[in-house]
Amino acid sequence: MKRKLKQTKPEIGFEHPKSRPDIILFVVTALLVGFGILMVYSASMYSAQKNYNNEYYFMFKQIVGALLGAAAMVALTFFDYHILGKLRYIILGVSVGLLILVFIPGVGVENYGAKRWINLPFFTLQASEFAKFGFIIFTAFYMAKHHKKMTTFKGVMPVLAVGVVICVLIILEPNMSITICMVLLMFVMLFIGGVRIKHFLIIGIPAVCAGVALIFAAPYRLSRLMAFLNPWASPLEEGFQLIQSFYSLGSGGFFGVGLFNSRQKYLFLPFSESDFILSIIGEELGFFGCLALMAVYVVFIFRAVKIARNASDRFGCYLASGIAAVIAIQVLVNIAVVTGSIPPTGLPLPFISSGSSSLIVFMGGVGILQSVARGSHGSGIYLARHKRVKRAAR
Amino acid sequence: MDKPNSLLLTRKRLLIVVLSIAFLFCALSVRLLYLQVFKGSWLQSKAAQQWYRDLPLEAPRGNIYDCNGKVLADNENVYAVYVRPRAVKDFDAVTKVLAENLSLDYDKLHEKLTTTHVSEITVMRRVEESVAEKIRDARLDGIYFTVDSKRNYPGKNRLEQVLGFTNIDNVGQNGLEGYYDKYLSGIDGFALTQADMQGNQLDGTSIRYIPPVPGCSMTLTIDTEIQAFAETAVDGAKTEFASKSASMIVMDVNTGGILAMASTPSYDNNDPPRDDIDLLNALSKNKMIVDVYEPGSTFKIFTTAIALENNAAHTSDRFYCPGYRMVDGQRIKCWRSIGHGSQTLSEGVKNSCNCVFMDLAQRTGTAKLYEGLRAFGFGEKTNVDFYGESRGILMNEQSVKTVDLARIGFGQAVAVTPLQLITGVCAAVNGGTLYKPYFVSEVVSSDGKTVYTHTPEKVRSVISESTSATLRDMLEKVVSEGGGKKAGVNGFKIGGKTGTAQKYENGHIAQGKYISSFVGFAPADNPKYAVLMIVDEPSGYTYYGSLVAAPYAGRVFENLFAYKGMLPAASDDVKTVIMPDLTDMSLTEALRKLKELSLQCEIAGNTDKILSVMPMSGTEIPEGDVVLIRTEEIEI
Repeated sequence: MKRKLKQTKPEIGFEHPKSRPDIILFVVTALLVGFGILMVYSASMYSAQKNYNNEYYFMFKQIVGALLGAAAMVALTFFDYHILGKLRYIILGVSVGLLILVFIPGVGVENYGAKRWINLPFFTLQASEFAKFGFIIFTAFYMAKHHKKMTTFKGVMPVLAVGVVICVLIILEPNMSITICMVLLMFVMLFIGGVRIKHFLIIGIPAVCAGVALIFAAPYRLSRLMAFLNPWASPLEEGFQLIQSFYSLGSGGFFGVGLFNSRQKYLFLPFSESDFILSIIGEELGFFGCLALMAVYVVFIFRAVKIARNASDRFGCYLASGIAAVIAIQVLVNIAVVTGSIPPTGLPLPFISSGSSSLIVFMGGVGILQSVARGSHGSGIYLARHKRVKRAAR
Repeated sequence: MDKPNSLLLTRKRLLIVVLSIAFLFCALSVRLLYLQVFKGSWLQSKAAQQWYRDLPLEAPRGNIYDCNGKVLADNENVYAVYVRPRAVKDFDAVTKVLAENLSLDYDKLHEKLTTTHVSEITVMRRVEESVAEKIRDARLDGIYFTVDSKRNYPGKNRLEQVLGFTNIDNVGQNGLEGYYDKYLSGIDGFALTQADMQGNQLDGTSIRYIPPVPGCSMTLTIDTEIQAFAETAVDGAKTEFASKSASMIVMDVNTGGILAMASTPSYDNNDPPRDDIDLLNALSKNKMIVDVYEPGSTFKIFTTAIALENNAAHTSDRFYCPGYRMVDGQRIKCWRSIGHGSQTLSEGVKNSCNCVFMDLAQRTGTAKLYEGLRAFGFGEKTNVDFYGESRGILMNEQSVKTVDLARIGFGQAVAVTPLQLITGVCAAVNGGTLYKPYFVSEVVSSDGKTVYTHTPEKVRSVISESTSATLRDMLEKVVSEGGGKKAGVNGFKIGGKTGTAQKYENGHIAQGKYISSFVGFAPADNPKYAVLMIVDEPSGYTYYGSLVAAPYAGRVFENLFAYKGMLPAASDDVKTVIMPDLTDMSLTEALRKLKELSLQCEIAGNTDKILSVMPMSGTEIPEGDVVLIRTEEIEI
């Protein structure tokens, strides 16, 4: 590993390892998470009061998630990301295991007609959230290790195989939106990993065909697809969710109706605290509020990409790129769904939407980014570990 | 060319990815700008439609009172039952409770509730409080109630054709409910509240509240007590004579105010047969205003009045009746085929001799007679405050031939509404003033202001006071000495006239179908009340107005006097006679015998052979009473 790094050194591009985490990224993350807690409270206070007799129900859950996420983030910041690379098979194994576990009755929790969650004592874990990062770690390490083979089709195959397995398991839950996210993530990572454009076409065409087949396999997907084109045609059925989202956004105007003043959160807009929280943000804080939020995301993504560029090795670069990509994809897809720009899929807005698994995993992702930012881990702990790893490798 | 997979390529591709992401963010910003700003107000206005709940506040309909303040129509609370499917937690339980309590079909209701995509389904309206209470006790989510108002008629099947009824939305449909709907119906208010998706009102949200304005209340000229007498009379007559129907109007002679208006058959106005539109129309029609009939002898009052007024006849004139008149070569029979002989005008009225009135009509002439009849209000609407009034039928004046003129003289070849007839009679006996008949005397708004007061409305002066006085006198004798005897009340002076008209069906006389009527007024010297009793198609041989309608009118008069505290004059001793045995006598002999006993008679049949007599021989009856003799009937 160390040797490899030295070999790559003449390849200019990677700056000298930094030993400090990216403070701006921390600040941006904290802003997003804090804002998320506030908005989750605002969006859910009425429904929480109505359904759980406690208007803080979702907010408290979100705070617990944020605390666990912060712990994960700090821990991973000071955890050498190379060890994650070493543990890639274990992490991948756990990811796939969790995805399978979802289908076991008693362990998996069914909600809205899909089995996506695993029942844990404190919260329910969404297996697919974990799997995304499992995939990123595996792919980043594989592409770094075999970066020369990435220009051949054969070299792409293992990534594809792992990606397909994870996608198939997620689609069986069923969870179309995360599947699409996974596919996009896979393509972005392969793109950054240097895969040739003609290979993309060879992979891409079957992927598109598979996507079309999936849409036609389940009729509800087709009707959902049509609903996005003209939600007003079925305002009480397929179009309902989107129309309610439009009502929210439209009511916001430039400056919004003011924090906590949303009318759509009074049960009109389903999933107002989770997948459609941006609608409530748009309603309460207006177009400028949305713009500001998007700007913060852009800053976040830029910082993450900067970390990728400045990573001390290919693995760190790919890892950071993957995390930046998955967050960017989810943010863009979420906004596109909420604004009716693409067919509706249920995808949380990273750091903001209510949901502990998502929050913990994304904050963990920030931790990994910071770990990459720190580059060489000059601490004694790292060295000791590194030596041990080296010895073990021999 | 770069190395196959250099770090430079990685950086290049990272840049492409970052630029793509930045571009997508920009594109989505534009999309947000479009939705939030350009479409914003449109979307918000659409959204607002679901944010507010507009609760209509129904304005209570005004009450209707009789002239003594007794309630004829008011409102009672009923409940409308709604289901909001989104709020329902257990469709099976909700369906079960509703189906059981409202007697609905379980499967149909279940389907309706689970497949209808509206926020609110009206399951049933006008549910009584006790039933609504039972549903409420089940405490199921998703069932809601609103208080509705339902019209309540305490009199049920009393006065129903006059009052009319309202539809399910409390809009007056017919009768006075329809005619005065704009007064009775108030102005609905509403409450605008902010609500959540399930329709629950949000706490602390501003409410715009526009209170409803209750409808005006209305006082009628109808007197419930007198109405009860009239109802009893028509019910009794219909039962006694198994007639098709029976009707009565009681009118204030000096104002035109309608004191009672009763008709059979009736129905419960609280539950009109709304499902059977033909039946409903037939039952709810006010026959006394809408329908016309041939008045027969009661019409002779007007012939006499017009002849006297035009000096075409005088009280001292004598007329001879051989039992018929030849008019333009046509033989028109008097009802008494053996004739009345020589008689004065007064006796002619008392005897109701057709010949006298044929003569009077011809002496008056078509022009004067028509002028007079029109002045009495025939051929035109009385303009009573009621929809659907008929104007009656007067032949075209130009086409009236002498024969027609003669027939009109004794009440044939004309058609009038019962209301027209009694209104005309009032004018004939009150000194000659025709009043517009009316039901509503006062309308008072919910805040106590008088909106409308009816002052008796004189239409015109028809005859002079002296003619009227003469007429009163003659008509008093009809009751005291003539065919109206059975309408008399001991100790009171009552004037009146009987009428028996054959019904026409499809332009031909309908054999055995008569309309028996009596119109009277009291006190005869200073009339206050007029009563018209009509029995449509009494069955059997008793079809004379004197025997069918007059007794019931008499009973109403008697009750009326008692109710109004009118004391009888120093009561003459009523002399009674014993009904003789007339069987085996010839008709002529029988009539002579009756005359000896000061009894009058009506004859059914056209031969001399007596079949039966009513009342039975040996019965003690008042002197001057009317008896019925049935003789053998042969086809001529």
